[in-house]
Amino acid sequence: MRSTAFLLPLLAAVTSCSSAPAPAPADPATVEAGHKAFAHLVEVLRHPRCLNCHPDDDRPRQGMHQAVHDPPVWRGPDDRGEPGAHCASCHQDRNATDARVPGAPGWHLAPLSMAWRGRSDAAICAQLKDKARNGGRTLDELQQHLAEDPLVGWGFSPGHGREPAPGSQAALGDTARTWIDAGAPCPPRGEPQ
Amino acid sequence: MKLTVNGTVHDVDASPDTPLLWVLRDHLGLTGTKYGCGEALCGACTVHVDGRAVRSCVLPVERLQGRAVTTIEGLSPDGSHPLQQAWARHAVPQCGYCQAGQIMTAAALLEEVPHPSEAQVDRSMATNICRCGTYLRIRAAILDAAGES
Amino acid sequence: MNAPQLSRRGFLIGSVGTGALFALGAGPAHAAGKPFVPNVWVRLEPDGTLHLTCNRSEMGQGVRSSIPALLAEEMGADRARVRVVQAPGDPVYGDQNTDGSRSIRNQYEMLRRMAAVARTMLEHAGARQLRVPVGEVASVAHEVVHASSGRAVPFGQLAAAAAAAKVPHPDKVKLRSDIPPGGWDLPLVEVDEWTSGRAQFGADVQRPGMLTAVIVRPPVLGAALLEVDDGAARAVPGVHDVVTMPVPAPPYAFQPLGGVAVVARDTWTAKKASEKLRLRWSESPHDDATWAADLAQMREQVAQPGTPRRQRGDAENALKRAANVVEATYVVPHLAHAALEPPAAVAEVTATGCEVWINTQTPQRTRSLVASRLGLEEDAVRVNVTYLGAAFGRKSKPDYAVEAAHLSQAVGRPVRVQWLREDAMRQGYFHAASVQALSAGFDDEGALTAWRQRIASPTIGSTFDAARHELRDSELGQGLSDLPLAVPHVSFETHAVQERMRIGWMRSVYNINHAFAVQGFLDELAHHRGVPLPDFIKTVYGPPRVVSADELGVPLWNYGAPEGEHPIDIARYHRVIDAVRERSAFDAPPVEGRAKGFAVHRSFLTYVACVVEVSRAPGGGPKLERAWVVADPGRIVHRERVRAQLEGAVLFGASVALYGHLDYQGGRVRAGNFREYRLVRMHEAPRSIDVEVITDGHAPGGIGEPGVPPVAPAIANAWFALTRERVRELPFHPPHA
Repeated sequence: MRSTAFLLPLLAAVTSCSSAPAPAPADPATVEAGHKAFAHLVEVLRHPRCLNCHPDDDRPRQGMHQAVHDPPVWRGPDDRGEPGAHCASCHQDRNATDARVPGAPGWHLAPLSMAWRGRSDAAICAQLKDKARNGGRTLDELQQHLAEDPLVGWGFSPGHGREPAPGSQAALGDTARTWIDAGAPCPPRGEPQ
Repeated sequence: MKLTVNGTVHDVDASPDTPLLWVLRDHLGLTGTKYGCGEALCGACTVHVDGRAVRSCVLPVERLQGRAVTTIEGLSPDGSHPLQQAWARHAVPQCGYCQAGQIMTAAALLEEVPHPSEAQVDRSMATNICRCGTYLRIRAAILDAAGES
Repeated sequence: MNAPQLSRRGFLIGSVGTGALFALGAGPAHAAGKPFVPNVWVRLEPDGTLHLTCNRSEMGQGVRSSIPALLAEEMGADRARVRVVQAPGDPVYGDQNTDGSRSIRNQYEMLRRMAAVARTMLEHAGARQLRVPVGEVASVAHEVVHASSGRAVPFGQLAAAAAAAKVPHPDKVKLRSDIPPGGWDLPLVEVDEWTSGRAQFGADVQRPGMLTAVIVRPPVLGAALLEVDDGAARAVPGVHDVVTMPVPAPPYAFQPLGGVAVVARDTWTAKKASEKLRLRWSESPHDDATWAADLAQMREQVAQPGTPRRQRGDAENALKRAANVVEATYVVPHLAHAALEPPAAVAEVTATGCEVWINTQTPQRTRSLVASRLGLEEDAVRVNVTYLGAAFGRKSKPDYAVEAAHLSQAVGRPVRVQWLREDAMRQGYFHAASVQALSAGFDDEGALTAWRQRIASPTIGSTFDAARHELRDSELGQGLSDLPLAVPHVSFETHAVQERMRIGWMRSVYNINHAFAVQGFLDELAHHRGVPLPDFIKTVYGPPRVVSADELGVPLWNYGAPEGEHPIDIARYHRVIDAVRERSAFDAPPVEGRAKGFAVHRSFLTYVACVVEVSRAPGGGPKLERAWVVADPGRIVHRERVRAQLEGAVLFGASVALYGHLDYQGGRVRAGNFREYRLVRMHEAPRSIDVEVITDGHAPGGIGEPGVPPVAPAIANAWFALTRERVRELPFHPPHA
């Protein structure tokens, strides 16, 4: 999980570039594999276990039906909930064993820039590669986030009978690697979701 | 294990997965913190850990080694916290059961935001249920205590 | 919280019961330093401390403030010298059932007389000491005062002398003439108890050696326990015993539901161990019951004629002949009390008896049930009443006291029974659902000529009589039999409905169902006629007059009150209608994006009119903006608590409108906790609730409940005004499938 302090020097280092540099173009078979990998990646990203904490407004979501989080909570000034009702006042660094409260280290909402609900595959692809919208990450750092961030990992072991995101975090990391190694190809615009 | 509550160190003999709520109530006799739901949905169990509001009904006591817990009994020695005084001025409680949790959440809010807007109060307090419906008076008492009224 | 210790013999006349509320002391002069205790309500210490008894349960309605306030004011006491004593369960305190909004209305005169006895005796003692005629003294601010000479004697100094005097009969003492009908603005004296965490609620009581029990009860009503495998539960460290509870036989009444109890050293251990019980249950007749199917069946039922309950003229034919007929069906689902404090009771059985500490609304019933279960005389059982973390009716059923007593006897230790939130949500007593089909016929001049209302609803009667499945007269008397209708042809009919759970009374009871149907339907009719609802209601209810049982055509249940003392007075309806209309500027053009809705309802002898203003909530449905309530409850005591009850009732009614829905499938309630059974929260509360209380000397009516029934229909009517969407089935936001 990245702290703001870590991001600032990273963002400062990026001047006019708005997207992470792509590796050199690869052969068609690799590109094809890259497109397939991205299709898997975006399937995971669209799962409610991921979407619920990447809302495009001030309210986390909950459940497979993505209802507004109950009890009622809001994003708060730094994505960590309102004063007196921070995410951490209920959510701990692991799933609660006896209550239905999920948990993972540093439980909080993804920033608004990292919302992709309702967007096309092509739009999500562009967003993932855009340092202004992916937390200032290079593609390698993005892969690291997907492969190692405990909040991302939570999506695969949500506890209490919740349906996990498809696959595993390790698989997600591998999928992201394949996609990046293939040049991080994006689907053409207009591609259906 | 040792547990510090309201400045006093206690020796607690409870199974480590026991939520703090039940350690406070059943083992330490501090019954001001209430059980309403056991699922962090109602806020009646709100206490402070290292000054931050937490729902004690889902917090296993073993996670509290070396942390300082404050309950409603320790919020002030004599009912003199500005929120407790404002609660009296506005005759807030009806049945009174939720009010310790309400006050603890409100105290955490005012620690961070000494002069909250009404909308901020609503958002910060929305996780505390009052079944008797004293919300308007809670709101007024918090704003009063914050000096905003 | 101990009651004054009195020996019964010599201090009571007549039989134990309502006649034994007063004590006639006799006997020799007492030594100086003895307190003055003329009856069970008043104990004056020589230092002036005044202990006043509260005989009803404090559950947020403020009886621990209002009852002592009335006693103190009648006595002329200084409120600052008062200590409130909570009465244990004992018939010497009269009726202690805290339900039906009657702690003040049924006791107003009695309490005053009890206090007046004390005042009279103090005045006599004071007059003797001041050597003046008793007619020249008065009790003011904790003193007997002789105004013309400027002399006074503090109450405390008169305690011994008063204690030595003969106690007059309460019916013979003079009441003060300066008790205002509108009561007083009083501070909330015990607020510090709640804000400090000191107040002791049901689960807060701890006894030496006490164990805590969590009970797994039948998942479906009527399921019997077939097999218990408790090995894993017993193996949990800290578990003391596992006890199979007795099986109740219908009708359930207040019997515990049965099941298996894990008794352990603390609540968490009991809860965790109870999850390790492996229990096998029999089939139940309700195993296939679903709300959806039962609702469909009730809808079918009300399409057909039912049992006639209130008739005038020939509504069937009048509807056939009507120039216009408007029909609609209204649905209220089952509801849960959802008091924030679940039921909890501690029982300590000893060789000589049993003591109970409990958050009960009914301490005498608790006492007799516990005595009966343990095979004890009632005198051997003491029931102490704690604070109640709200109740709304659930805690008037002492099944959980019997559970605690049974377990204490079984294990030989004090036992606390702790109901979990899930237990309260699934296995309590629940508010009855109803489906109501209304039909109104108009003649060609637009006058209402016929009103037919068919109701399908399970009855509270089923909890007490296994053969009863149709609403009782008292349940119809909560808004239907007592509904004034200046309509020539009227028919109210009921249908029997099989209950799926223990049905009990919840704050304002059937008034919720009946007001939602009637006030919503009247709004539909008003729109049909193009008339504002308050005016239309005045037309339908008829001109100002007293509506007698004769006019209604059925006996008037009237909440147990004599018709003469509490008639249905249309003028009082008009007063609250007019007042709320004006205060809310109901007829003014609405604020952009908002609309107002109106409803009026008489319940528990109090008239309440309500306007709610709504806008569209971001997630859909109504957002409450402002509310106005005008209530006419007759005489009141504690102005501020009355206002608080009416404010709180707006939120309670809003939860009914927006979220309340106890869905069931496979005979099991689906909700377990507040995620599935939502309640209105701070950010959903209106910005303002304007309350006016009209008190002009009518006999006191109730306050705890009457604020609730008009709220949900006012919200629905406001929503229609805003959106043209008519919501006839609550709640606005059913839980997710």
